Amino acid sequence: MTSHVTTSIEPTGIRWQSILPIVAVLALAAVGFVSSDYIVTVLGFAFIYAIFCTGLNFFMGYTGQASFGQSAFAAIGGYGSAILCTDYGWEPLLALFATMVLSGVAAVLVGYPTLRLRGHYLAMATFALGLIVYEITIEWTALTQGYMGYSGVPPLGVAGFTLDTLKQQLVVLVVISLIGVGIAARLRQSRFGRALASIAGSESAARALGVDIARYKLIAFVIAALYASAAGSLFAHFVGFISPEVYGTTMVIQSFAMLYLGGIGTMWGPMIGAIIVSILPETMRGLKEMQDIAYTAVLILILIFAPRGLAGLSVLFRRTRVRVLEKA
Amino acid sequence: MPSLVEFLQSIVNGVGVGLIYGLVGIGFCVIYNASGIVNFAQGVFVMLGGMVCETLLSQLGIPLIVAVVLTIPLVAISGIVMELAIVRPMMHRGATLFAIILATLAAQIMIERITLLTFGDRPRTYHEFTTGGPLKIGDVAIGYQLFWILGCGALLVLLLWLFFTRTRTGRALRACSQNREAAQLLGIPVARMMLIAFALSAALGAIAGILVTPTQYTAYNVGTPFGVNGFIAAIIGGFGRAGGALAGGLLLGVLQALAIVALGAGFKNVAALSFLLVVLLFFPNGLFAGFGKSAKAH
Repeated sequence: MTSHVTTSIEPTGIRWQSILPIVAVLALAAVGFVSSDYIVTVLGFAFIYAIFCTGLNFFMGYTGQASFGQSAFAAIGGYGSAILCTDYGWEPLLALFATMVLSGVAAVLVGYPTLRLRGHYLAMATFALGLIVYEITIEWTALTQGYMGYSGVPPLGVAGFTLDTLKQQLVVLVVISLIGVGIAARLRQSRFGRALASIAGSESAARALGVDIARYKLIAFVIAALYASAAGSLFAHFVGFISPEVYGTTMVIQSFAMLYLGGIGTMWGPMIGAIIVSILPETMRGLKEMQDIAYTAVLILILIFAPRGLAGLSVLFRRTRVRVLEKA
Repeated sequence: MPSLVEFLQSIVNGVGVGLIYGLVGIGFCVIYNASGIVNFAQGVFVMLGGMVCETLLSQLGIPLIVAVVLTIPLVAISGIVMELAIVRPMMHRGATLFAIILATLAAQIMIERITLLTFGDRPRTYHEFTTGGPLKIGDVAIGYQLFWILGCGALLVLLLWLFFTRTRTGRALRACSQNREAAQLLGIPVARMMLIAFALSAALGAIAGILVTPTQYTAYNVGTPFGVNGFIAAIIGGFGRAGGALAGGLLLGVLQALAIVALGAGFKNVAALSFLLVVLLFFPNGLFAGFGKSAKAH
């Protein structure tokens, strides 16, 4: 990225608004660190989903497009890592990056023709992509072991040092998700990020300003796919087991619930949403059976009554200058 | 290489299921024309049609004709609820297109999960409308249910055509599809038209579900394939045109049946979805619209 021409939207200097979420996330991680393994697992899922949603936010929030099939790239990442590490004995970290490259290439190949579509067609085409990969993970049993799924995926590690306990893994997940948000924040405030925002505002206006729309949409799509792939791989390593259902329609709906609850198009929204949506069902144990119903109900209610989500509330604390910029 | 009998048999099967896709596709068009949105939960009506009918028939022992007469309005009510509870408030608040699509998709998953909790995950089916059969022509077997599907499908298309051309309500719906604001100015109650469109669309899905269940099975999760395939049918036919959707459904059904022969049953959805992408990318106005346009140009 051409960082030297980057001009920050935010006023310079460290402000409490940008520090507060980091502190909150670290505090939450600390709470998890002294809690039972069960809570650590729940938090781990939350941060994995935070990575997934931060990527999705690039394409949907910043660029104003829609992908209903982002789970496809998570499946590539998850199955790629599982197969490479279990059957071929690869280093988890190497497999993570290799599958990210694979997902990126897949995103270019798929996105190049697909992203010309708009509206319903784009939504249905991306939905179809997710379903195609889901069906393949079920049917191509020679590669994916079908409904049986892949078990015995080793935990994350590098050069002989593996993260054996869940708590060690949680720390790594927190760090990775914070890095993910950090990269997203940098990109968003760059020339590239402003180009995406201009596409979200009005495609014709963006074109008039000289923004290469097809190229920027594709890049945003690829970035989202890279995040999704990384999240998929991390899930496989964290749980040690994956099956087609992990990367099914539920993942799509769950990530949308997180994205819209936290606030689509905002920097911290995806992570806030991911944490809340992951923890809420755990606080109401009776809800376990009804989990998907609760997700969909929450999602529908937010879509109707608060389409800007919780992060939209933070506007109340900001100066008007930023608010104007956000609307643009 | 599949034999001729296999080939013919798969075409016969494809016509039956294709007609069902066509009905679902028409359901998509009816709502799209009235409101400008695509209801991603369309497939759920097919599932509900089959499930409710099976419950009335097998669990409560109600005769078939009564069960059918009860099922259709019950499912239509679910469409009305969806419109009132989800689509209308969102449109009032000026929600974005993607948000409305997403809400309908969420509604589909919610209804599926509720169905799973109330009915369980056991696949269900019931007997064909006419027992006996199949009819053998040479080595090709044609189940009697296929004739029911063909007959009811043809009757429905005729009724829909009469509804859209001969009745006041049908014409008002068509006016909405051409220009909602102008229709409003002419005194057409657009909001009520949307309600009617959702009810009609749900009823069509229910009929499709009732007709197709004896030939396969129904379970809480059969909705998505029907919904996606119905959407493909609607797109092939050039979105928004009922006749096109029906033809698109038949084409898709036959293609899918041939794909099963060539690739095996497992990949039939992959084949259909890939076909959708090809159509979307190369014929975004539908296969038939392309011919129509070039014909006009000459």
